[in-house]
Amino acid sequence: MTQDNHGKAYKFGMVIDLDKCTGCGSCMVACMSENNVPFKEDETNKKDSITWMKVFKLTNGKPFPDTDICYMPRPCMHCGGKGDHGHSPCVSVCPATATDYGYDTGIVSQIYTRCFGCRYCMGACPYHARYFNWWDPKWPDGMEEYLSPSVSPRMRGVVEKCSFCYHRYQAARDRAYHEERRDNIEEGEYQTACTQACPAGAITFGDLNNPEHEVSKLVKPDTHQCGKPRNPKAFRLLERLQTNPKVYYISEREWVRKAGDNYRDGEWEKSK
Amino acid sequence: MKIDRRSFLGLGLGAAAGVTLSPMPWKLTDDSSIWSQNWPWTPVPNDGEITFEDTICTLCPGNCGISVKKVDGRAIKIEGKKGYPVNDGGICLHGISGLQYLYDPSRVQFPMVKSGDTWKQVSWDEAVALVAGKVKELRQKGMAESLACVSATDKGSVAGLYKRLLTSVGSQNFYTLETMEKSWEMLISRIHGLKAFASFDLANSDYVISFGAGFIEGWGSPVTNFIANSSRKERKAKLVQVEYRLSNTAASADTWLPAKPGTEADLALGICSAIISGNLYNAEFIKNAKDFEAFAKFVNEKYAPELVSRTTGIDASKIKAVASEFAKAKSPLAIAGRGKGESAGSLMEFAAVHALNCLTGNINKAGGFWTVERQDTLTWSSLEMDDSATKSYAKSPIGAVDSLVSGVSGSADAGVFSSVVSAVSNQVVTSASLTKLFEVINASEKSPVELLMVYNANPCFTLHNTKAVKAAVNKIPFVVSFSSYMDDTAQLADVILPSHTFLEMSQDIQSGASLAQNITAFSKPVAGPVFDTKHPGDAVIAIAKAVEGTVASSFPWENYQECLESIIGDSFATLSEEGYIASEFTPPAAPIVVDFSIFAGFKGITPLEGEAKSYPLTLMPIDTIRLASATFASSPFAVKTVEDTVLLENDTVIEINPETADKVGVSDGDYALITTPVGEAKVRVNLFDGIMPDVVAIPEGLGHTISGIGQVLRKDGTALTGKKGATSIITVTGGTSKNIGPLENRYIGGKGVNVNDLIGSVVDPASGLDAAWGIRARISKA
Amino acid sequence: MDSALIPKGAKRCPFPVFATGIAVVGAVLLWGVYAMGLCWLKGLNQTNMNDYYGFALWIWADLAVIAIGGGAFFTGLLKYVFGIDELKNIINLAVVIGFICYSSALLILAIDIGQPLRGWFIFWHANVHSMLTEVAFCLSLYFSVLTIEFIPLILENRQIDKVPFFHNLSHNMHSVMAVFAATGAFLSCFHQGSLGGVAGVLYGRPFAYREGLLVWPWTFFLFTWSAAAYGPCFTLTVTKLFEGITRKKLVKDNVVHILAKISGWMITTYIIAKIIDTIYWAFVTAPDMGFSLIDFYSNNSFYGIWILFAEIVLGGIVPAVILTVKKYRENNKLLLVAILLGVFGVCLNRWVMVLQVMAVPVMSFDTWALYVPSWQEIATTILPVAYGVILISLAYRYLPVFPQEQELYDAK
Ligand SMILES: Nc1nc2c(c(=O)[nH]1)N[C@H]1C(S)=C(S)[C@@H](COP(=O)(O)OP(=O)(O)OC[C@H]3O[C@@H](n4cnc5c(=O)[nH]c(N)nc54)[C@H](O)[C@@H]3O)O[C@H]1N2
Ligand SMILES: Nc1nc2c(c(=O)[nH]1)N[C@H]1C(S)=C(S)[C@@H](COP(=O)(O)OP(=O)(O)OC[C@H]3O[C@@H](n4cnc5c(=O)[nH]c(N)nc54)[C@H](O)[C@@H]3O)O[C@H]1N2
Ligand code: SF4
Ligand code: SF4
Ligand code: SF4
Ligand code: SF4
Ligand code: SF4
Ligand SMILES: [Mo]
Repeated sequence: MTQDNHGKAYKFGMVIDLDKCTGCGSCMVACMSENNVPFKEDETNKKDSITWMKVFKLTNGKPFPDTDICYMPRPCMHCGGKGDHGHSPCVSVCPATATDYGYDTGIVSQIYTRCFGCRYCMGACPYHARYFNWWDPKWPDGMEEYLSPSVSPRMRGVVEKCSFCYHRYQAARDRAYHEERRDNIEEGEYQTACTQACPAGAITFGDLNNPEHEVSKLVKPDTHQCGKPRNPKAFRLLERLQTNPKVYYISEREWVRKAGDNYRDGEWEKSK
Repeated sequence: MKIDRRSFLGLGLGAAAGVTLSPMPWKLTDDSSIWSQNWPWTPVPNDGEITFEDTICTLCPGNCGISVKKVDGRAIKIEGKKGYPVNDGGICLHGISGLQYLYDPSRVQFPMVKSGDTWKQVSWDEAVALVAGKVKELRQKGMAESLACVSATDKGSVAGLYKRLLTSVGSQNFYTLETMEKSWEMLISRIHGLKAFASFDLANSDYVISFGAGFIEGWGSPVTNFIANSSRKERKAKLVQVEYRLSNTAASADTWLPAKPGTEADLALGICSAIISGNLYNAEFIKNAKDFEAFAKFVNEKYAPELVSRTTGIDASKIKAVASEFAKAKSPLAIAGRGKGESAGSLMEFAAVHALNCLTGNINKAGGFWTVERQDTLTWSSLEMDDSATKSYAKSPIGAVDSLVSGVSGSADAGVFSSVVSAVSNQVVTSASLTKLFEVINASEKSPVELLMVYNANPCFTLHNTKAVKAAVNKIPFVVSFSSYMDDTAQLADVILPSHTFLEMSQDIQSGASLAQNITAFSKPVAGPVFDTKHPGDAVIAIAKAVEGTVASSFPWENYQECLESIIGDSFATLSEEGYIASEFTPPAAPIVVDFSIFAGFKGITPLEGEAKSYPLTLMPIDTIRLASATFASSPFAVKTVEDTVLLENDTVIEINPETADKVGVSDGDYALITTPVGEAKVRVNLFDGIMPDVVAIPEGLGHTISGIGQVLRKDGTALTGKKGATSIITVTGGTSKNIGPLENRYIGGKGVNVNDLIGSVVDPASGLDAAWGIRARISKA
Repeated sequence: MDSALIPKGAKRCPFPVFATGIAVVGAVLLWGVYAMGLCWLKGLNQTNMNDYYGFALWIWADLAVIAIGGGAFFTGLLKYVFGIDELKNIINLAVVIGFICYSSALLILAIDIGQPLRGWFIFWHANVHSMLTEVAFCLSLYFSVLTIEFIPLILENRQIDKVPFFHNLSHNMHSVMAVFAATGAFLSCFHQGSLGGVAGVLYGRPFAYREGLLVWPWTFFLFTWSAAAYGPCFTLTVTKLFEGITRKKLVKDNVVHILAKISGWMITTYIIAKIIDTIYWAFVTAPDMGFSLIDFYSNNSFYGIWILFAEIVLGGIVPAVILTVKKYRENNKLLLVAILLGVFGVCLNRWVMVLQVMAVPVMSFDTWALYVPSWQEIATTILPVAYGVILISLAYRYLPVFPQEQELYDAK
């Protein structure tokens, strides 16, 4: 299934089936391992713990035995921003253009060597997808051996976040060019590390602009409404803020879909 | 020139203007920012050619296929191996973290001998000679039976070599850990008269009732189960989870039956009763079953849904509904087995659950319960034993227990059951019990074990009542650890012969737990060795050779590789080429027999230790996939994913219902003291609605000790220093080293409490295994 | 001892007393410098900020000092552009305060960023869409203007003034000061506004987000307006403080009253705008995003609805009333209450627009993020205060900050 992307931009996105996600954390570790994410002796302060992919635990708030829980993996949403024009909450505020929107891929980049650590972008992101290197990254002696050359380790004082494993996109694109397929990357050629690792198969990744891709089939994004899902079981986190994420969630459970956004009393019932 | 105030000011200003206008400040500004982009202390990984090498992860019994990504020969990432029958590309977080185990500077980096508080590096030859010397000495004294070995399992050629060493020396004291696999094996032999292990075809079953098995907490083969679980949606398969707490598995289940802990067997029998009284069972399958009538009468009298509803707290109507759905399903499957610690579990609980499988007859069919004959793919040459060895070998193992069910059928309630069943051998099986071993050592004045070898096991952490286990280990005059890590047991050893990690060694692998296929795999070294470690098989062979005599001649191979090739035989070529051989199960030719007489005298499962008056709560160990509770200590990556409701700084966080918290007077985040008949611990409190009132859940996998490591001296007398980040530098004050050693893993070590400090062992009279599944407890605000 | 440097005829405390005072404050300053050094050398892990709370105490201080330093541009505007000549008697003070506030703000920013050596990237790789870029440009330009405005005052030092070149320079600078004041006012409007925009544009943060005009959210205008309105309150507060400490009258009542009155009307108009803004936000903007007003003020241990009340009523309506009503404003005690409340009000507004923004949960399953600053943060936040005290004391001692001082002294 080769797609024709001549002159057409990709819009990479992710769909996460919350009914399949087991909260196992493989995606978190796959990401840390793929992207040279550092770690500290004590990581129990979760507000100071770099996890490009973070799995939130949601509960329905009901007492025993009506309690229910749901795990919600949260990478960077690669927001298209208002009107889906690429003015992501974070990109639009970065004073030094250290984070940028890729119009050819829809991926929100982060340039560590340009970032000067003002953290404005962190304040702008409602998903807490951005992390600051409060500490010098340090690996126990000898453990630097496993660091990947595809992703540069970050220095203290800069912000980092999920890149949709951009280096994997680059590798796939390079291969495609090399094989004279121009920039026609096939669905399977570019998959993120978390997608690949998820043992529950809860994550799907692909091009939202390509109706043949599984992601498009799963959520049926409405291009006239900035990619809003047409699948009634699918939703995006904080849809109402018009951040226009490219990460979608699917759940059969109504309370889970409701937890994806904020609703005033009675609003949810009306919106259904 | 005369410098007056005016010219001074003028000069100053001029100079300032000059410097500003010169390129210098700009260049410096630019340079300093470039420097900040290239800080020498931020590593820059080398680039190179990318290759992949496949092997098997043995961090847990799942044994997933993995692909190790390498750059210029340097292992940089572990991924799941696509197409591998166990995991098909999926991988758990521990497997991905494999390289953190490999490159961990807190590994045991060379063989070492303990003297006092200090570890001293020795050469491999010296270490081997030391151990072999001790063995020889025992042999000469005619005390070969005082040699013992603990290994996680007896599967595979490496464990086989250890067992062979013991046998050739003359000792039967080879101990494996007590797991649910053992309980299933016993049960299969008792109910079906087969020598087989249990397997569960989760992926093809359309209706599973699980009695606490945490499919997504890591039960059995974790990734296989994840895949099976997540395909339920497409397969329209149902999962019913019986558990007192909303575990991740319970949350993912279609129906959650929160039965009171310890009443799972009652519930299972209640469902049996409903199936039988509704005539929903597979009469064809049951028709030749022994004592079915008696069983039916028994459950209908004592375990009718209405009765069971009272003990379990589950509505009778719900029980009946589940019973009917289960019985009407195409391929229903009932599963027991919580794989923790001594949770070989109560054999009678397994029996009660398995009765459900027997009633539907979904045995040895797709989507059902499988009895799988142990495939002995290894053909060992016979070994030689001299007189001394033969004499010692005749002595029965230390801590031998009588297991199985014979005692039960003779009990008072046996009336309705016929006594002995012809097809099923009901003999007493005597075997070596690890739990019992340590009890015996503690009870004897002088340890009956003179030399203990510990391979691929960490009993001082994983057995119940670790205090007692440690006391026993300390009593043993000579303890040899083959651990790669300064784990809780290695810290108490006298000598450590560090093994390669799984990434550094070859070995044969039998995938077991809960896989609906036979898979024999071959793992090969894909990295290292990073340190001066040895293949554990090579270590044993070297020891055997140094012991000389018939022991040496029982180990005719030059090295492990040669041994493996010879004992695997024909399939070696296929294995080393393909990496694995998988075969579908084939049902046994003979029709399967079913014997219900095990239920004679059934009085419920092994009770909890402690009396309810002073310990009003039930403490239950719980697992999260994110913490390795048995297989190694968790990696830094894994610990990083652990929620702050499980581990907070250095404190274990327990889980209780808000109602319970009110009762005992603690609130969210408080420190609390938890006391059981065995021990007490200071913990923190997390309130969770999803746990049954009056139950306290405490996470497994925490509480690894690092305080007993001491100093490590290299051969040249220099001290091995703590590594940056990983470990702290030894600080010597006043000539004595503080209790901070170089091999401390600070990422998991010293964090939280070990559940097994709080739980005692309870021997199941039916199986002889440790069946403690929790303990009574009380908590108070600390 | 240093009498040769002290303005002619001015009475100043004995040098040892002065030196002791400076030494005490200097010790505090050094403590702050030490903390600052820690932040630079060891990084921002010295603070208690975290990934939920990326802006913290000192960013509030940064915004607050810029707001209260707003007296400089606004007084300059009134004097040089609107020609309210009486204000020349307080403009020097306003300029010194402004200089202190803005240099402090820049210092804080230099400590605040994770990569201080790359701070200039904000200019070099500027993103014109970012409010922070606008802030950086206007702030540094305006700081240059303030420096230019400050220089003539320095040149008026008795000894420097003796040098003919400096004397002439000072004179010439005075005559073009109107141009600078006007430029400064223009720049100020922008950076005060863009500081307001910093929070207002955060459409991912319903608590901060405001709709607006063209590219500017309403907070842009509210910040400029409030800085102009409340800045004079701080100028007056400092005047009163000096008068209290030196037990001398330094500025004539009519000057004080004019400034107070203007401030009062500014606060009045501002607070009306602010109330309208709050109502629109509470009833239109936030509900569109799924929030009720009370969501922003409940389920946490600190941010109650009291803070909205304190900001609008105590820090807005009360000073507005006092300062606009002649009878009240000319009552010295009430005047003092009003200007103090004014300073409090604008600082609280900046707190809310920075710190509460970070604290309010946005995702439905998130919880409030409250934080307590580390000592290093407190020390670095106090650092500019100490620096300001020292600089303003030096200025007062050696420069003719209060032109009416002599006259008022003689009158006594
Ligand atoms: N992440 C991770 N995965 C692993 C391992 C690891 O160390 N880490 N180890 C592997 C190994 S060796 C094994 S054996 C498996 C074990 O894996 P599991 O069998 O899943 O073990 P647990 O999750 O510890 O226990 C299952 C559930 O049983 C419940 N339970 C407790 N007491 C009772 C009882 O009396 N009756 C019933 N019915 N339920 C009860 C517990 O609350 C728990 O939720 O995991 C394997 N996978
Ligand atoms: N707290 C707690 N206790 C438990 C359980 C639990 O869930 N929680 N579960 C119980 C269960 S189900 C089990 S199976 C047992 C497991 O219990 P154990 O097997 O005793 O526990 P581990 O810590 O996995 O011990 C494995 C040790 O083997 C060594 N090792 C591991 N891999 C290799 C290798 O490739 N080569 C060599 N040479 N050495 C290796 C390591 O040094 C490690 O310390 O624990 C039981 N006890
Ligand atoms: S790896 Fe998959 S199942 Fe596990 S937490 Fe991530 S998304 Fe969920
Ligand atoms: S999720 Fe946050 S960091 Fe990612 S694009 Fe959106 S606003 Fe930016
Ligand atoms: S922290 Fe870095 S990426 Fe974020 S806004 Fe500031 S300069 Fe841009
Ligand atoms: S897409 Fe890549 S960078 Fe993003 S969370 Fe997944 S693994 Fe991490
Ligand atoms: S499930 Fe077990 S075998 Fe598979 S990757 Fe994880 S630890 Fe390794
Ligand atoms: Mo196990």
